[in-house]
Amino acid sequence: MNTVLEARQVTKIFGGLVAVNKVDLIVPEGSIASIIGPNGAGKTTLFNCISGFYQPEFGDVLFNGRKIQGMLTDKVAAMGIARTYQNIRLFKNMSAVENVMVGFEPHLKHGWITAMVKTPGYQKEQKHIVNEASRLLHYVGLAGLGDNLALNLPYGAQRRLEIARALANQPKLLLLDEPTAGMNPQETDEMKDFIRQIRDDLGITIILIEHDMRVVMNISDQISVLDYGEKIAEGNPKEIQANPRVIEAYLGPGAAALSEKYRREKIHDA
Amino acid sequence: MNKQSIQKSAASGLVFGIIVIFFALIGFTVVFSGLIQKALGQSLGVGQIPSMSSFLIFLGLLGIWNGWRASRQDKHETLLVSKVLGRSAIAGLTAGVLVMVYALIVGALDNRGINLRTYLSQLSSESVRFFLFNQSIVVGGLIHVLYSTVLAVVGGFLALASERSRERVKTTRESIQKWSQDRWLGKLQGNPYVSYILMGVVLLLLVLLPRTWGAYWNYVMGTVGIYVLLGLGLNIIVGLSGQLVLGYVAFFAIGAYTFALTTSPEPHNLVWNFWVALGVAVLAAALSGILIGLPIMRLRGDYLAIVTLGFGEIIRILLRSDILKDFTMGPRGVRNIAGPTLFGRSFTTDVDFMYLIILAVLLSIFLARRWQESSIGRAWLAISQDETVAQATGVDTKKYKLLALSLGAAFAGLGGALFASRNQFTGPEDHALMVSINVLVLVIVGGMGSIPGVVLGAFALKGLPEILRELESYRLLVFGALLVVMMIIRPEGLWPARRPKLEVTVVKETEQVPLPAVVGGEQ
Repeated sequence: MNTVLEARQVTKIFGGLVAVNKVDLIVPEGSIASIIGPNGAGKTTLFNCISGFYQPEFGDVLFNGRKIQGMLTDKVAAMGIARTYQNIRLFKNMSAVENVMVGFEPHLKHGWITAMVKTPGYQKEQKHIVNEASRLLHYVGLAGLGDNLALNLPYGAQRRLEIARALANQPKLLLLDEPTAGMNPQETDEMKDFIRQIRDDLGITIILIEHDMRVVMNISDQISVLDYGEKIAEGNPKEIQANPRVIEAYLGPGAAALSEKYRREKIHDA
Repeated sequence: MNKQSIQKSAASGLVFGIIVIFFALIGFTVVFSGLIQKALGQSLGVGQIPSMSSFLIFLGLLGIWNGWRASRQDKHETLLVSKVLGRSAIAGLTAGVLVMVYALIVGALDNRGINLRTYLSQLSSESVRFFLFNQSIVVGGLIHVLYSTVLAVVGGFLALASERSRERVKTTRESIQKWSQDRWLGKLQGNPYVSYILMGVVLLLLVLLPRTWGAYWNYVMGTVGIYVLLGLGLNIIVGLSGQLVLGYVAFFAIGAYTFALTTSPEPHNLVWNFWVALGVAVLAAALSGILIGLPIMRLRGDYLAIVTLGFGEIIRILLRSDILKDFTMGPRGVRNIAGPTLFGRSFTTDVDFMYLIILAVLLSIFLARRWQESSIGRAWLAISQDETVAQATGVDTKKYKLLALSLGAAFAGLGGALFASRNQFTGPEDHALMVSINVLVLVIVGGMGSIPGVVLGAFALKGLPEILRELESYRLLVFGALLVVMMIIRPEGLWPARRPKLEVTVVKETEQVPLPAVVGGEQ
């Protein structure tokens, strides 16, 4: 399988703090990769390095084999990396459908002169993106809500709208930063199925940061664990669940031994 | 009556007492009473003291308002007669006593023959006696207390009556609205001919009015039109793309001076054709927008505001400095700027200029609307709401911000050229900071990002002061108060921007929606 994204020894330093320390990451095409770790482990910083928000101090980020660090975020988006945000960041005072239409921006051809004259080509393009944006809203389950202002949508709908806006970029790689944060169990379940559906329907590779372990263990093909900026483990859900370093990172030193002991006792009891 | 309620009533009384005293000190009472007298159809000579009845009406209105405010302290309580009576009486009494104390002091000083006009120019002996109802000090003061209290109680009962009848008023209004909606408004709204007829009427007015209302109003409305042009431009920069530019006058100055220097015999002896010069002025302003934009692209918010503020001032100071004296005539300004010509005929009367400005405004509104409603307008709005995210969504923020600056500057250049041509003169002081601030205020008062708002805002900001001329030197006071009231009543602007309805229904509900086709076949 092709590698969509490769991070090589990515390091990001804020003052004296090494937020991301020599992290390697390889994400194959069509997979769902998760990044987990305790709060402050550097997950979002790594995301920001991939999507061009931050410029890593060392290391390379390769997208389809091309170096992308140092590029402006709009160029990164045009290449095919779209993202959502941990704290929802929509264009609040624009309608939902307009939010999605902005997402088509990297692929628009017409400029201010054709918009002034309203050439047939320009009108066709505008009509096209209105249709496509409406279809995307329908796809994420927001059909009929398109003319509401983004800030008036309920929380779950805002999360979906953010995904629709990202999909409008026509990405090959989608970065989801805590897509189920603040959702109840049912919404979380729907979101989980929806993420898988995006991958299956559209063939988009997905990297997600997630705290809800039921989601992570259920849909991930590959999980990377960060702690204090370093990658401490990588593998499929089974391997990660059994990894003593991961358990210690989450529960504190000695926790791995304890959990091992409990497991033995359980087996013994049985 | 509890303690809090008494305190609130007394506070209201204090505020109104202070207002009355303030008005008396600055002589506003006399002017406003005069206006009331004129409104009642009685004549009033210049410098004449108005009649007692008009003064009583003026005081009475304030007193009634005082009582009304004092008795309605909480939206959610139901008013009782005893509450209203107590509150309004306290408020009226407080205001009255305060005014009485003032009247006693001023009256006593005046009686001693002290000329108060040395301290406050409006406090002539006549106006003091006018304030005391032409009575002795003590009687006048007591009349104030009595009158204030009685009128406040009247105001309180009016408040009570309005609340009792609120429900009925509401249902009546709703039924009238429903009736008009069913019978004719609803039908008219769906009818395309209605908008054509409306547009026709507006056009007819625009053609006829400049011919009928005389040179003075042509001048005033021409200024309003030029401010509409400026507002449309700044609306693109501030209202849409969200860049707080405070030096907008720089573009106005560049347009005006480019036009002036290319059409005036002095100092360069360039006498270009009006229309060529107009185009060059617009282009020069647009280009300066890009040139100024380039270094400030990375600045946001307050920093951008301060830097551009400085830029506006630099242009003005440069224009009046000695360095450019040979080039721009320094503080003297450029004279004999050409008026419009067409096919060898010159059109320089006030009516012609009004038509020219109206044409420019209509064209600008048309263009601004086109841009605002296009993808470009959406990209601008996205940048103004969250620049970082807009860029990460693929919006080329640098390109769009520069575009906004240069298009906005082009409108200012057009306005500046017309301004210089109409006045046949332009100097550095035409391009002071106040222009930038006025334009920003009109955009905010009208409603950020709204084109009808810009037009309304220009009328409110440049037309209203002319209408308020009757108030003489107090017009800026009243004007400021009106602006404050406007922003309290409609904080989002007179005509706030609305987002268009765009969503189309996806027809086949059951069909799987595939990945959206790539726009324009590009990968």
